[in-house]
Amino acid sequence: MKTPHDALIAMLLGDAPASPALERWLATDAGRRELAAYRRTLAALERVVGSPTTGGRQVYYCAVPSPIGRLFVAASDTGLVRVSFPQSERAFVESLRRSLDVVPVRSRERTADIVHQLRAYFAGERRVFDVQLDLSGVSPFQRAVLMAAVSVPAGQVVSYGEIARRIGQPGGSRAVGQALGRNPIPIVIPCHRVIAAGGRIGGYGGGLARKRRLLRLEGALAVGG
Amino acid sequence: MMRATAASTELVERHRPEILRYLGRMLHDVGDAEDACQDVFLRAHRAVGRLRADSNVRAWLYRIATNRALNVRRSRARAMARVADVDVDALTACTGSAEERADVHAVRRAVESLPPRQRAALVLRRFHGLDYGEIAATLGGNEVAARANVYQAVKKLRAALGET
Repeated sequence: MKTPHDALIAMLLGDAPASPALERWLATDAGRRELAAYRRTLAALERVVGSPTTGGRQVYYCAVPSPIGRLFVAASDTGLVRVSFPQSERAFVESLRRSLDVVPVRSRERTADIVHQLRAYFAGERRVFDVQLDLSGVSPFQRAVLMAAVSVPAGQVVSYGEIARRIGQPGGSRAVGQALGRNPIPIVIPCHRVIAAGGRIGGYGGGLARKRRLLRLEGALAVGG
Repeated sequence: MMRATAASTELVERHRPEILRYLGRMLHDVGDAEDACQDVFLRAHRAVGRLRADSNVRAWLYRIATNRALNVRRSRARAMARVADVDVDALTACTGSAEERADVHAVRRAVESLPPRQRAALVLRRFHGLDYGEIAATLGGNEVAARANVYQAVKKLRAALGET
């Protein structure tokens, strides 16, 4: 990368994790200012380009009661697009509309398979999900990270650094953490099985209590741990 | 060679929703996007029999759609300003803080004045998840040029916000 701007854009577009040189620059006043400016630029771009609706494809969604609260799932004709932690139905539908440019339709029939699998998972009767995922719109880098997380079996955990290594980006733990933090399909894509170095539990979009609960359910964490 | 069978029809049709969204993003007008999408798929179905079996169908469809979108934009160069001003402002600029509205306004102007290929490259990368190889296959040129187009576009939009 020729300039810090190129490296910063690469990081924000998910093309490459931040190098140590970029991290140092981002810690300076100029770096902080540019990071904020580029983030504002991309947020504005989202509203300029991302908003015109074109009738949109439909996605089908449904609520799923679970021991970690009422989840929502959404699937397109191609595959599962979202699993969400507890929130209001309205907020979930709005986030689908906004982030995917789709028309959400409530349907038990079209989501029956994944709902069934999630119930079995929470009942301890299923450890592997067998569903099509629809990751259109997910960047190639994030897709690689998510697929690496899928390869971690139930009952095991790996570190962010290990995922970075597996996708050929050693030193990219931070970018991996960011990509996992934006996992659109948690639980099914088991980002909860990725933890910080030294056995610390790390972060989780659904809150650390839920991460611990999922890991206990899978037997990767002792009861009470 | 691949024959225009039910399988190849399905191979093409499965991309219709995302191509329609792409055309909406390039043209900023639902009706124009739907018309353009009809054209794109008409062409695609006629040509799919000549496509090599190992072709990247998705990139191929994006290429047809990009050409169609650029043609539409050229043919309505003057009317475009009108459409963009009315529709996009109404859709995007009436919510959020004053600062966000100012950002959206500045970025919208900058997007409209990007060279068409830079704009297409940016939309394909940011909103459709194409990698640089696929963008090169869509727009022509190589991966280095595809990436340069996207980064140039982002820098121009950033510059439109001015000093912060």
